[in-house]
Amino acid sequence: MRTHVLLVCVIGAAVAVAAAGARPSATPGVSGSEIHLGSSVPLSGEAAAGGSVARGADAYFKYVNARGGVLGRKIKFTYLDDGYDPSRAVNNAIRLVQQEQVFALFNTLGTNNNLAIRKFLNQQGVPQLFVASGATTFGRDYTAYPWTIGYIPPYSEEGKLYGKYILAHSKKPKIAVLYQNDDYGRDLLAGLRKGLGKKAGSIVAKVGYDPTSSDVQPQIAQLKSSKATMLCIFAFGKFSLQAFNGLNRVAWHPQVFVNDVSAASSLMIAVPQKAANGSISITFGKDPAAPIWAKDKGVKLFQSIWRKYGSDIRSIDYKDGYLVAGMASAYTMVDTLRKAGKNLTRQSVMRAATHLSERGNPFLLPNIVVRTTPSFRFPVTQVRLQRWRGRAWHPFGKLVSIKPG
Amino acid sequence: MLASFTWSEFAEQIVSGLADGSVYASLALALVLIYRSTRAINFAQGEMATFSTFIAWSLMNHGLSFWEAFPVVLAISFVGGVAVERVIIRPVEQAPVLTIVIITLGLALLLNGLMYVIWGGGDRPFKGGFSSSTVEVAGAHISIQYIGIIGVLALLVVVLGLFFRYTKLGLALRAAALNPDSSRLVGVRVSWMLALGWGLAALVGAVAGMMVAPLQFLGPNMMQAVLLYAFAAAVLGGLDSPVGAVVGGLILGLTIDLLGRYVGYIGSTLKLPVALLLILVFLFFRPGGLFGSVATRRV
Amino acid sequence: MPRVKLALEALAFLLLVAVVIVLPQVVSDFHARELAIVGMYFIALIGLNVLTGYSGQISLGHGAFMAIGGYTTAILISDHGMRDIWTIPVAGVVAGVAGLLVGLPALRLSGMYLALVTFGIAVAFPQVPKKYEHFMGGSSGKSTGLYKVELGFHTTPNRWLYYLTWAVALFLLAAAWALLRGKPGRTLQALRDSEVAALSSGVNVAVYKTAAFGISAFYAGVAGSLFAISSFLVTPETFAILLSVYLVVGLAAGGLGSLSGAIGGAALVFYLQNHADAVARWANHLPWLSVDPKQQGISSVVFGAVLIVIMLLLPTGAGGLLQRLLRPLTTRLYTRS
Repeated sequence: MRTHVLLVCVIGAAVAVAAAGARPSATPGVSGSEIHLGSSVPLSGEAAAGGSVARGADAYFKYVNARGGVLGRKIKFTYLDDGYDPSRAVNNAIRLVQQEQVFALFNTLGTNNNLAIRKFLNQQGVPQLFVASGATTFGRDYTAYPWTIGYIPPYSEEGKLYGKYILAHSKKPKIAVLYQNDDYGRDLLAGLRKGLGKKAGSIVAKVGYDPTSSDVQPQIAQLKSSKATMLCIFAFGKFSLQAFNGLNRVAWHPQVFVNDVSAASSLMIAVPQKAANGSISITFGKDPAAPIWAKDKGVKLFQSIWRKYGSDIRSIDYKDGYLVAGMASAYTMVDTLRKAGKNLTRQSVMRAATHLSERGNPFLLPNIVVRTTPSFRFPVTQVRLQRWRGRAWHPFGKLVSIKPG
Repeated sequence: MLASFTWSEFAEQIVSGLADGSVYASLALALVLIYRSTRAINFAQGEMATFSTFIAWSLMNHGLSFWEAFPVVLAISFVGGVAVERVIIRPVEQAPVLTIVIITLGLALLLNGLMYVIWGGGDRPFKGGFSSSTVEVAGAHISIQYIGIIGVLALLVVVLGLFFRYTKLGLALRAAALNPDSSRLVGVRVSWMLALGWGLAALVGAVAGMMVAPLQFLGPNMMQAVLLYAFAAAVLGGLDSPVGAVVGGLILGLTIDLLGRYVGYIGSTLKLPVALLLILVFLFFRPGGLFGSVATRRV
Repeated sequence: MPRVKLALEALAFLLLVAVVIVLPQVVSDFHARELAIVGMYFIALIGLNVLTGYSGQISLGHGAFMAIGGYTTAILISDHGMRDIWTIPVAGVVAGVAGLLVGLPALRLSGMYLALVTFGIAVAFPQVPKKYEHFMGGSSGKSTGLYKVELGFHTTPNRWLYYLTWAVALFLLAAAWALLRGKPGRTLQALRDSEVAALSSGVNVAVYKTAAFGISAFYAGVAGSLFAISSFLVTPETFAILLSVYLVVGLAAGGLGSLSGAIGGAALVFYLQNHADAVARWANHLPWLSVDPKQQGISSVVFGAVLIVIMLLLPTGAGGLLQRLLRPLTTRLYTRS
């Protein structure tokens, strides 16, 4: 009994000693020599593939640091694992802001995760920059959440594009939809509906799945029995893979539309090609596995940066689109930091982030202009359609603008 | 929004239900093998199976094909199971059953953590031993992968059945489980039979893991839900009955999958609670399961 | 001497209160929050101790009771606009009722089967919020909003959370202590040591064991409620099976039947769970080990090993605490019908 009381005191003392309180500086996360950025991404679980965006960004920051950093300051990037669970993302965000004292959060991944931390970050006046989620709300609701800004093309517009494409290419489409049953998937579905307009009834079947389930195979079997001729896969991580595997297992070959975020080459190449061939998606970044970019300077830059500054390097990384996506946002981040000036404050970085006019991002499609204004917070809104054939993505058509109306 | 019923889809669902059931049956079989010898539920059975599957994954990454890695993994798992029994179970062989249960819990935790540390936490695709194409039978498209899984279970059952019935070792194992004292008198090394039981269980569990991984993707938490289904199957069939585990697993797989598909309220979300419900129903009204004879409480 | 023991226990409690009051002044704001979370685990472990340490019933599913408390709080705050602090007792009661509902059929289940069923509850429960999306938020979770200082106090939100949690914790600790010192506690211990003897002395075993479940679940519900408040939201994954297992580890490490040990157990659970990277960095000092600090897993390895070692070291002969604890349960397992 006495030893337990002793244990209590010892632990209390140890915790107190370990608790070296950080003194809040004028602008947290910014010193004369360093800018501290933070992020929360899935490094484990069903969405771990997406976590590579943080690894890619980290490598890019190291590359920039080796070249003198941003206006004399080096970027320190701390990213934590949340396993795609919003409550863990919250704990990470609190820790990053209050213990690590980061300057801003950057490129946090996951619609639900970002929604979960948004209120806290805005209340604390911490910038939530270039969110790795296309949920429309991150660009639209800036009056309520002025510290938040998105990055990738809004999902609702992506879904709308698919809807319009279907209408333009089919008289009597019969569409089935598999969607992740949360704000992310539903945003895409709502967009699809909008794009179909009066013909929204062409959606003959839709089935949602929860992002912590183990398998979407049963859902695919179910959708097959609707006899639809087209299938939209609005999924993420391992679930898009399982969807394709499922298609093969039930021998169903509809025209597949798969949303960009879940259509990385590294995933598509791992599924039965019979099911994947002909799938249509959009693209706005340079997919390092797509033959069209094989000799591209931006992709070569990516590969050389990864070779030199990457962590946990494996040979398949050089074809990993998520790493490139991370570098693309990191490029914009560095751009923004430069614009924010030597007198770097949270206000100045938000001002810079809402006055972007960036061209020549080596990791995005050529001719894409990353543009924002204080009342238009969708940095990337230009995409191309692409088709999967011969184990690779082939962009077709022109660069289209999908701005939210 | 549920699409209507078609016979061809029903046939496909039956096959996939039997395939899932085969996985549950295999893991349940492993649970029963340990229960028969050690009288304890091994909470680490799922993690042991996942660990074995990760070993298979590693071997395949180093160039082996699935079927080349398969026997290697079975052998490693067998040795691992024996080692686990010798190192952490043997010291507490005479201890209360609950101690053993908590130790297996600790083992589950240990293995789970180890998998994260060694292989990382992401879910990854696992190329199984069967092609993912289908054969058409009377309008229904039956997946070869499912047939393969069911076939492997059938083979496993046959091999184990022959082993237990017709080999001296199998007989010794059964004797040691049924009546340890008398078996000792006849010269059976009961303690080693326990270890053998654990080795076999680990081997069978590895089979379950390698069969389910292509379907669900391989990750450290892959078998957590499967373990619950396996518990349900074992309770259904009777915790001390190998036959019960197999039959229970198949019945459970079919029931849960069909309920999930055709009863809208259950869908895929409530499959786990249904399994729990089944466990409760059987524990209260028929603790021996369909084929077993388990001790009842007496105060 | 009972009176000396009483005085020492009272002194220890006062010492604890003093430490609790003073600590936030010494540590950083963020650490106040961390210590608050330690307090939440402490509350849950007190409850688990009542159930397993005192009434001898094992539960591998206490995460589910925490979840019930957490979701109750979230629903009351989100859908009914209740103030977060008032939801805490409600959450406890709801979880407590759930505990009674589990405790009743649990009477018929011996140790191993109870472990099985409670394990099943922990694994299956997260599916419930996913099914009842509108009511419980689905996989996106149910929000509780940001916590802020209440009742006119002047402090930071994190310190407020700390004082709230520890005030509740100390109160519940005193309540548990009083309960277990008195007749109910002695009865529980009597029935833990020999259910047959207790029954034959006229003890209503069923009532006591069920009540233990209910009380234990109440504590877990309160802990879950505070947890929900501290994380701004609850999701099905917030109280996953891992949490339930970690609680058992905390229980075993803190000492079955030791209320004060529960603080050590809570600190262990918290530190290994939330500072896994620190553990990993420490482990990397070993020459043959190179673990990525970002990767979780090292905590589970340590936890698992700790649990195994504790269980192996307890003497299996007569005299071991666990042996005494479990004898009435195990004799039943060996009877054949």
